[in-house]
Amino acid sequence: MGPGETLEIFPLKILRDLTQLSFLRMPTRPGATRPLFDLLERHAVPVRFLLEGCAGDYNRDLVICISAEDFKLLEPELKELNTRMQAQALELRQPVAVIRVLGPHFDIRPGTSGLLFGALERSGITVFSNATTITSSMCVIADDQVEAATLVIGRTFDVPKKKSKK
Amino acid sequence: MTQQSKTLEIMRRIGAPKLEKIRITGILQSPALASLTFLMPKGDSDSFAAVLRLLGDRSINIRFINKYKDSAGYISLCICIDSEALDEALVVLDANEASLGIKDFMYHPRVKVISIYPHKERPRVAERFLTTLRMQGIDPLSTNNASSVISCVISMDDVDRALASLSDAFELP
Repeated sequence: MGPGETLEIFPLKILRDLTQLSFLRMPTRPGATRPLFDLLERHAVPVRFLLEGCAGDYNRDLVICISAEDFKLLEPELKELNTRMQAQALELRQPVAVIRVLGPHFDIRPGTSGLLFGALERSGITVFSNATTITSSMCVIADDQVEAATLVIGRTFDVPKKKSKK
Repeated sequence: MTQQSKTLEIMRRIGAPKLEKIRITGILQSPALASLTFLMPKGDSDSFAAVLRLLGDRSINIRFINKYKDSAGYISLCICIDSEALDEALVVLDANEASLGIKDFMYHPRVKVISIYPHKERPRVAERFLTTLRMQGIDPLSTNNASSVISCVISMDDVDRALASLSDAFELP
């Protein structure tokens, strides 16, 4: 990025009052995640955020975010679900929010992600999880940091203002 | 034989049930990339942004990021960069490994990001995506959703097999 250049992004998409569930050290066998996704499908629960990473020794970590309301619906089944998935730990974090930053060409402009996360970090905003692909970056943060994060992102990128109705 | 390959062998022998195809709009593949996976210091304040800044300062493009806290409390970070930038990235990261507090560091020089769209937050799309790949013995290095796509990082050696199996599992226009 050139000095003094400010990248334009689309208006932020913010999903609030979510629960982050981390299924840690689960096996990699095919279908290991099926009990979870079947349960979500059965209750028509949308997956607001998803990532999976290597945990070593043929294990995986799976992190998802769903709405707090949907979490309440699933909570009674979580213990059995975790047993069926053979995850060694299930960690919950709530309330969290997902902020989607779209458009600053994460895939073609070196430095864009460093700019975003550097600005958030300097403002004391912790990104619990992040998924960035192509032109979209999804950040999971504490729900009570949404307003601060929105200000920081607005100062870092050129975010179009919503037009007011006359 | 690992537990995973035993399961695969049994499933192949008895045959997995043929599931109804899920309609999607398309499958994308990235150019050739290299993946870098780090374990970073414990705690919520991390060196994540510092790694990205270091690479950005050297005009190294980052096309994929996965960051989360693992079971030991370490920050797990997987990023993908253009494959031709790998050597420069390794030099920079080696030089700063101690100051960044990197606990563990692995890289894969030849990967691609495979994405299907739209994901639309549908659990069954994620499940079919992951299970289809694993039924082929392809274990994604990293997977995430962003906006309307769900994507995974796989070895370039597995790309043709992955695309063929995904085309079979999903209904394309």
